[in-house]
Amino acid sequence: MTRTLLLGGAVLMAGALILGGGLSSRASAQTPAVSAAVADGSVGEQADGYLGINGSVSAEVRAGVEAINIKRRAAYTDLAAKRGVTVADMAAATGCQTLASRVKQGQTYRIGGGAWQVKGSGPIALPAYCSTAN
Amino acid sequence: MTVSSILLSRRGIPAVPGMLMLCALPGCIQLNAPDKPIEINLNVKVQQEVVVRLQQDAKDLIQNNPELFPQ
Repeated sequence: MTRTLLLGGAVLMAGALILGGGLSSRASAQTPAVSAAVADGSVGEQADGYLGINGSVSAEVRAGVEAINIKRRAAYTDLAAKRGVTVADMAAATGCQTLASRVKQGQTYRIGGGAWQVKGSGPIALPAYCSTAN
Repeated sequence: MTVSSILLSRRGIPAVPGMLMLCALPGCIQLNAPDKPIEINLNVKVQQEVVVRLQQDAKDLIQNNPELFPQ
């Protein structure tokens, strides 16, 4: 059973590599630009589980954010199917985690359709549905 | 069921109006069956377990794919 699962996983990963090959090499080149944008607050995590753009950014950063979000969505879709939940639920669960432990002080984040906020020294006040996020 | 309501029923008139008439008297308690089925919600616990499981999946996803979660 374990072996079957592992094999299945390997096949899936191989498929993902073939499909995402072109995309990932481009995205990896953009990651430093996106990281810099996250650091300066022009890109931030959103409670919906995706990266968002706060203000105006370069075309490179925008493309990098889009590439990351496409990959996140693929990962969320995969996990959601495994757990029998919606993609949005899986994405939101991840959003709880990024807001709880990934966003650093001084970086920006957004909850729901609200305004962009800058993380202070304390933890971010998470939406109620995140109550078990630790 | 009271005698009067039985009599009313026998005459082909539904028993319910008879009871309603009686309940117009003071001190009568009228019980109505709920029109919706009674639901006992067991989803709360299940949902909580799903959330916990998803949070763990999310943690693993972030840990295993740091390039998708730039800091």
